Amino acid sequence: MSDMTETTPQPGSTAAPATCENGTTIGLDDAVVQARGVTRLYGQGDACVYALAGVDLDLQRGVYTAIMGPSGSGKSTLMHILAGLDRPSAGSVWVDGVEITGLKDRALTQLRRDKIGFIFQTFNLLATLTAAENIVLPLTIAGRKGNEAWIDELVATVGLGDRLKHKPAELSGGQQQRVAVARALASRPAVLFADEPTGNLDSHTGEEVLELLRHSSDNLGQTIVMVTHDAHAATYADRIVFLRDGVIAHDCGRLGRDEIYDVIKSLEHVG
Amino acid sequence: MIRIAWRSLTSHKLRTILTTLAILLGVAMISGTYVLTDQIDRGFKQIFSDAYKGTDVTVTKKAKFSGQLTGATEGLPQSMVDQVKAVDGVSAVFGYVTGMGAVAVNGKVVETGGSPTLFFSYSANDIAPPQYIEGAPPAKSGEVAVIEKLATDQKLTIGAPIDVITSNGAHPAQVSGVFRFSAQSSLGGSLIIHTTLPDAQDWFDMKGRVSEIDAKAEPGVSADTLAQRVRAALPAGTEVKTGAQAAADQTKSVSDSIGAFLKPVLLSFGGIAVLVGAFIIFNAFSMTVAQRRREFAMLRALGATRRQVLFSLAGEALVMGVLASLVGLFAGLGVAAGVNQVFKAAGFEIPSSGLVLQPRTVIIAMAVGVVVTLLSALIPAQRATRVPPMAALQEGAQLPPSRFARFAPIMGGVVAVLGALLIVAGMYGPGSTMIRLATIASGAVLVFVAVAMLSKFVMRPLVGLLGWPLQKLAPVSGRLARDNSRRNPGRTALTAAALMIGLAVVVFVAVLAQGLKSSFIDSFDKTVQADYIISAKNFMTIPSDTAQRVAAVPSIETAVSLDAQQVQAKGGSLAVVWGIDPFAIERVWSFDWIEGSDAVLSKLGTNGAILEEQTASSLGVGLGDPVPITTVEGKRATLNVMGIYRDPMMLNGITVSAAGYDAIFPTPQAFMVVAKATAGSDIGQTQKAVETALADTPTARVQTVAEYKKTTVDLVNQILTLVYGLLALSVIISLFGIVNTLVLSVFERTREIGLTRAIGMSRRQVSATVRYESVITSIIGAAMGIVVGIVFAWVVTTKFAGQGITFAVPGGQLVIFVILAVIVGVVAAILPARRAAKIDILEAIHYE
Repeated sequence: MSDMTETTPQPGSTAAPATCENGTTIGLDDAVVQARGVTRLYGQGDACVYALAGVDLDLQRGVYTAIMGPSGSGKSTLMHILAGLDRPSAGSVWVDGVEITGLKDRALTQLRRDKIGFIFQTFNLLATLTAAENIVLPLTIAGRKGNEAWIDELVATVGLGDRLKHKPAELSGGQQQRVAVARALASRPAVLFADEPTGNLDSHTGEEVLELLRHSSDNLGQTIVMVTHDAHAATYADRIVFLRDGVIAHDCGRLGRDEIYDVIKSLEHVG
Repeated sequence: MIRIAWRSLTSHKLRTILTTLAILLGVAMISGTYVLTDQIDRGFKQIFSDAYKGTDVTVTKKAKFSGQLTGATEGLPQSMVDQVKAVDGVSAVFGYVTGMGAVAVNGKVVETGGSPTLFFSYSANDIAPPQYIEGAPPAKSGEVAVIEKLATDQKLTIGAPIDVITSNGAHPAQVSGVFRFSAQSSLGGSLIIHTTLPDAQDWFDMKGRVSEIDAKAEPGVSADTLAQRVRAALPAGTEVKTGAQAAADQTKSVSDSIGAFLKPVLLSFGGIAVLVGAFIIFNAFSMTVAQRRREFAMLRALGATRRQVLFSLAGEALVMGVLASLVGLFAGLGVAAGVNQVFKAAGFEIPSSGLVLQPRTVIIAMAVGVVVTLLSALIPAQRATRVPPMAALQEGAQLPPSRFARFAPIMGGVVAVLGALLIVAGMYGPGSTMIRLATIASGAVLVFVAVAMLSKFVMRPLVGLLGWPLQKLAPVSGRLARDNSRRNPGRTALTAAALMIGLAVVVFVAVLAQGLKSSFIDSFDKTVQADYIISAKNFMTIPSDTAQRVAAVPSIETAVSLDAQQVQAKGGSLAVVWGIDPFAIERVWSFDWIEGSDAVLSKLGTNGAILEEQTASSLGVGLGDPVPITTVEGKRATLNVMGIYRDPMMLNGITVSAAGYDAIFPTPQAFMVVAKATAGSDIGQTQKAVETALADTPTARVQTVAEYKKTTVDLVNQILTLVYGLLALSVIISLFGIVNTLVLSVFERTREIGLTRAIGMSRRQVSATVRYESVITSIIGAAMGIVVGIVFAWVVTTKFAGQGITFAVPGGQLVIFVILAVIVGVVAAILPARRAAKIDILEAIHYE
């Protein structure tokens, strides 16, 4: 960390607004997640490798963002850092107005509990709890009762009505991931992080999960950050951020599948 | 979070049950011990309070100390009965004689399994008379009444002949009645016989004397008041108590003599079982934490704090501990009932007054179970809190090594040194026996912990060594088993350590017992130059004229009586005083002199004594020093040390001449008779002749020295068997530990096992792999246990070398222990191996 001497830029209204390539200007005031000069390196000395080499990123409230990039592009590392699971070697991250870089474990834990939702590639449901219990787990952890109407709405949204009393092992992969989505939404997080949510699903059930995420963005106004390498999954997003070699290589609005392939190809050519 | 903990427990039933069982059995043992000893206490309390019902004041000769081998007491003059009667406020009074002896039916002595056969003189004035269910109390000389148990067991009817054997000989008698004492048909195996007062005075050498005087107060006079008046009226040297106090004292004395041995012994075995359980819980939690790191990471990612993760695991441990303790507590009732049955089968019936579950038992059992479970789970739970939330997103993330991991060898070393220091402090330091034993025990626990901590570092080479023959035997399964055991050396070490504890104690006891046996035989061979030993069966008595009668047999050259009674030496510690014939003894006994020679014997006179080395050093006396002694009745004498000899096994104490003995003690008390046959006589025929000469003394057991040695060694072996039985519990618990570890490691390797099956490994080979792994673990446990046990035994024997315990390793038994460990390993592997073999290949390779 010591070789990273550059000062961290402060976000705020004085900073130049980020400009999308399609020309949309996004107001910084409404950014839920902000990253400034985020760098992450692994290893030491000559063997050190940059996973992220200075990333600036603002994620607006209510926007469904996909982060794409080839393996080793740093997309997962970026998500881990934005979500407060990993610490950057340099740079700063704000989540919902709180600077999380430098937070102690206790505060970070509370942040994850109150502001962040997670969806994992491998579902990560507690095998010993029923679907319904898994959904309210974040509330259980926080020691809150939760809004029953909200939970009912969630359950209705993910469409698991009759399977709620089942254990994860008795559910299909798609159903498990839908439970995971409901779980992530249960505490109404400021931002929901999804790590390859369709990675372990077949195309049909993957579709259901993607529809569900889209739905929560449209109808519930949920901010979503999804890391994926599946072009089809990315077509559901409002905004797509392409990473390559630890930097943002391309940042744009909603794209179709073919357009995404074009961007990927063009990025390959640059290299 | 408690719900999460509960769910986790209920959905891993096998693991939960095995782990719970580990602690449950130890708790059951502890609670059983308390239930049993409480039951004994209550039983005797009932008996003695019934015996003294209505008795307000008791008068006895004041005893200076209480101990075994104290012999018959001198008692009180019979005239004192009238003295008590004359005290104002006494409404009824009677004096009686009591003594210990034996009874024989049809020439065969009635065995009581070590319990006393008690005689009481019957009085028509008895304040709390027993309930006669048949016949009448003895009315004339030669009549006796017997307790119901004796009548039933021996099918005695009114008028049946019976022989009474006391220290002054055998006396023919006739049954006049059958009674029930304290509404109980038996008294913990003891037999009770009523006689007339003159007969009792005759048989117990109490002419003109009584053992005790009981009095009842007139209405309006309290027991305390009457006791005070009686005390004032009687001379010094008498003990006056209220009936309630006498009942309480006797209850305490009897309960203590049983409980003082039974309670600490059973509790220590319970403690060992709990310790083994603690190791297993620690290991089980460590393994599940490693397996469930994904789950903890996810909880952390969802915002669970470290504290919540810790509490969730502690919650699991708490639920397990409470469950195990509760079930263990009640299982303890079963344990107590079982021990009762064992005692009953051995003829030593515990007074049956129902099982007693005291609040103290509940508190101790629950506290031990819950605290031990919680403490054992604490370190693994602490590790769980260090799982980073990131691990939820990564495949195969490992637990971060502990901050202290690199200090583990140092910490292990520190614990080992601390344990060793405690053991040494306990052995050589100051303090009461209980404190010192506790210090030694905690030192031993620390040593066990240290061995478990340190053995991790030698586990790889050790497994490699032990696995080598297996690999030769079965190239595939043996090799895999060897690798699997080596993969997680800490886990193998802990699992083996659980078995180590039980085996270490087994080996420790085996080595000590071997040392005891071999030094007994050495010492016996060195000193005893006789052909026969005549001793009392089962702690009963033999008449004091036995030696003369044996000597009268033509083919017997010499017969020497060894009389023994306990005294208080130098006003403090108890010592046994042996009375011998100083002129005949050298023909049957070869003293191992340190100071003096056989020439001293004939000069002993009435106040000379020779001392066993240990007694001399513990009393701090040497040649020419005076040794003041006090008998149980308060009689004082001063003996002069004229010689010192070494004999830790037989004449351990103070030896005086028969004349000196008679001068000190009012009544003779023959302990055994040592006899030698004339040269050239037939050993077998002479033995028969001696038996014939003692035909009317069925309590006497006539043995050749070889038989006597064998009986003694057999006794040690019997105790050893009992101890092994109690230790089997710990071994069984460690077996659960092995099963637990194997089940978990099979579960962890599901995918790997599927893969090996996919590339052609047979089910048989898979289960063999698990079995071999189990055997490797159990042999390592056995090896560690044998080493630790031998070291412990060596340390102890060096301390007690002077008391005749040598260090001798029973090689044959050690081989048996190793074979047993292999069997434990094979048995433990049955279920896990079956599980491993049943793994479905397709499912396994898709297993996450």
